[in-house]
Amino acid sequence: MSTLKQLASKFFGHDPVFARRTAGGIQPLPFKEHSLRSRIMSTPIPPQLTIPIGTEGSGEITRLVDIGEQVLKYQKLAIMSLSAKGRSGVPVHAPTSGVITSIENSIVADHSQQQQLCINLTVDGHDEALQLEPHTDYSKLSSTDLVSLIRDAGVIGMGGAGFPTADKLSGYGKPAIEFLIINAAECEPYITADEALLRERADSVVLGAEILQRACAAQRCIIAIEDTKPDAIAAIKQSLQNEANYEQRCELVLVPSKYPAGSERQLIQCVTGIEIATGQHPTEQGIVMHNVGTAYAAYEAIVEGKPCISRFTTLCGQALKTPKNFEVLIGTAAHFLFELCGIDAGRKQRSIVGGSLMGVELDSDKAATCKTTNCLIAASANELQAPAAEQACIRCGFCADACPSKLLPQQLFAFSKTLDTTQLLEHGLLDCIECGACDYVCPSQLPLVSTYKESKKFIETRRQSLEYSDYWQQRFQFRQYRVKKEKDQALSRKLDAPVQSMQAAEQPPKAQNDEAGFISKEQASKDIAAAVARVKFRRNEKNK
Amino acid sequence: MSGLKAGAPFQHSGRSIAQLMQTLLYALLPGIFASLWFFGFGILINIAIAISFAVFAEAAMLRLRNRDISSHLSDRSVLVTALLFAIAIPPGSPWWLVALGIVFAIVIAKHLYGGLGQNPFNPAMCGYAMLLLAFPLEMTGWHIPNGVINGPLTVDNLGIPTLAAERESLSPLSWIRFKQALLLAFPFAASGATDITEFVDGLAMATPLIEFKMAGKSAILAARESGASLFATGSETAWEIINIGYLLGGLFLLYKKIISWHIPLAIIATVFSLAALFYAPGSVAIYGTPYLHLFGSATMIGAFFIATDPVSAATTSTGKLVYGVIIGVSIYSIRVWGSYLDSIAFAVLFGNFCAPILDQYCRPRIFGHRLRRNSVRSRPNEAPAKP
Repeated sequence: MSTLKQLASKFFGHDPVFARRTAGGIQPLPFKEHSLRSRIMSTPIPPQLTIPIGTEGSGEITRLVDIGEQVLKYQKLAIMSLSAKGRSGVPVHAPTSGVITSIENSIVADHSQQQQLCINLTVDGHDEALQLEPHTDYSKLSSTDLVSLIRDAGVIGMGGAGFPTADKLSGYGKPAIEFLIINAAECEPYITADEALLRERADSVVLGAEILQRACAAQRCIIAIEDTKPDAIAAIKQSLQNEANYEQRCELVLVPSKYPAGSERQLIQCVTGIEIATGQHPTEQGIVMHNVGTAYAAYEAIVEGKPCISRFTTLCGQALKTPKNFEVLIGTAAHFLFELCGIDAGRKQRSIVGGSLMGVELDSDKAATCKTTNCLIAASANELQAPAAEQACIRCGFCADACPSKLLPQQLFAFSKTLDTTQLLEHGLLDCIECGACDYVCPSQLPLVSTYKESKKFIETRRQSLEYSDYWQQRFQFRQYRVKKEKDQALSRKLDAPVQSMQAAEQPPKAQNDEAGFISKEQASKDIAAAVARVKFRRNEKNK
Repeated sequence: MSGLKAGAPFQHSGRSIAQLMQTLLYALLPGIFASLWFFGFGILINIAIAISFAVFAEAAMLRLRNRDISSHLSDRSVLVTALLFAIAIPPGSPWWLVALGIVFAIVIAKHLYGGLGQNPFNPAMCGYAMLLLAFPLEMTGWHIPNGVINGPLTVDNLGIPTLAAERESLSPLSWIRFKQALLLAFPFAASGATDITEFVDGLAMATPLIEFKMAGKSAILAARESGASLFATGSETAWEIINIGYLLGGLFLLYKKIISWHIPLAIIATVFSLAALFYAPGSVAIYGTPYLHLFGSATMIGAFFIATDPVSAATTSTGKLVYGVIIGVSIYSIRVWGSYLDSIAFAVLFGNFCAPILDQYCRPRIFGHRLRRNSVRSRPNEAPAKP
């Protein structure tokens, strides 16, 4: 294999990049054409913005503004930092000028299904902005400067995970980055935000890719796009030609169109042939992947100096008269966007955030868009129907054929029914990426993914409670042992009999079980030391 | 939790069990038509009896198990079981034989184990195997249409010509043949017939493979090696055409992605290679040509329709291949060295026995597991590290 690689690199100057076959996958109807009919539009400024600044309990939120304060466009509102990483946080900026009216938990249109702390901003309509600092000649900036500028602009992963881009770029002190992969394989039905962005602003995206590549010092940049998007492909090719000196370092790879081609580990395997092991981070293999939207945000952050206050969101669904892609200010309510697209309220049955396969149903259209809201679907009654009645699993194995992680979904389903944790872990439940391909093909209409989610939750809760009970059991045992020892010491002192005290000292009671007999003094002191060390370790862990 | 509901994915391929079963039924048609053409109405009568008793038994069991009858019946799985069973039973079998087998299949092999999806053994083959053990005589005769009839045929109270030559001129699809098939299935209706048993015996004959096995490799081998025409009306060629019919149906299933290629390919390849390995023309030990093994009996329907029953088969790709090989070896061994004449049912049931252990040990490598690269070991049983 390595000789083949060497031969190939002799011919091509470096390893040729081509799309490889990945396991599983499905080809659902894309429903993408409707929202691609019109160009990307900017929304008018809504009267009220609800800007999410983070989930309470996970990570630290530093508020920089108070209720009643007047803020300007681009002004920092809060800094959100992930816990236990010791990294500086990512700021959230005001999308427009106005007054902070309240700060409270509310529904956000993202996949997390959790309420987030949001800043309510009543817009004054003047759109007064802070002065921006563009860095048109970014080649002069060092990679650390680029990373800190990107962090300062509040750029996070626009593909859906929402992981701070700066953290991803600065790496983990692991091997140097070989591949920067720009993920343009937007494989989920309905979503066209990335495709629309590439069709209209490919130049900026390519510049953004170059900035990202400089920031993480990657040797090669690969833009991976599905082969069913000819307009976007042509646009990228054109932009790469325009950037003649960058063209040599950036390659375009067409990946076969299937769902989930855009999943991180699957796409990495497809374009590089490297299989990221379970529990391993791609950076450990010298690979980092960013979404097209993130590349565009990085471009804006550096070249225009503009913080991340908007994103591209697809508005689609049969209940909308004019589905399209919007450049949406962060914090805009879903119903405001639906109305801009001419919603037929009578036709709308439900709203979904995200695509049709991994999306989440919105309980209320008041939900605010955040930096990861890539798609909002106003579904009519006859599209995206609820699954038909569940039937028995006939073990047809379609699910296993569709699974991109090469799992056996039907077995996992059976084990989930009985909550057989050992077998679930053995069969790789935690490797399930919840893409929904198994659900899609299941002829018995089984709710596979939601069952796996439940099982994962169950396993996590159990693990936590086990850890908790373990901790307290040790505390208890240690206390019992200590009490016993004190009693024995008191007894021996009282009797003041050397023989007896020697016996007692030599045979202190066993901490775990009094009836099990006696153990030696050395053993006892060892046990104490071990128990103390365990407790200390746990306490440290907890404090971290 | 907040106001957001779970429930993704919202899109579905539209496939359903009913649709899969429907396609399976369509795929059986070419073979059934071929069988009808060569062997007459016996197969249709079998099918009619099997379906009526199967639907009745299924409805009764669903009622007993407090399940919704109409929704479970509409998944058509019972029709597939009935059809596969009816095809396996020799045409011209009495009605009670068919009824007993299919009721056993539905009630005991399917519902007592928990219904659709839960039965460890293929119900149709369970029914067949039960009949074969209980009624060996009735189960081994195949109603031969136009071949040479051995045995006395003197009485003719059914309107059948006494002369062999005249009988041969009658198509298996003629009215007389139909009446005759009906009488075979419902012998009580022929109360006026004076010598029905003799008549039935005379018409019963084995599949070419069985005949070959019993006859001691004489006539058929000679005929085959002298290049007998494929479209002659002898029973051997009838079996060829019927098997080709099922082969076409199986290819249709593969094209429709209802079944995967693993099991049929493994079975056919195994039977073919074993037959090729042991076949030695001209020598004393003649086991039959590979061709005879593949097309002279029920191999094709077994490989494409019976062994691929997903409920009782292995499900992983590797598991399916091993499963197919096990069945292939069993088919050949039972045929050649065993005491039973045809072997699909026992071979498939044996495969069913092996399926759970195959599924346990032939699991595919999970994406990202058991990799050793850059000294970073995979940790399959741990939660992935939070970034």
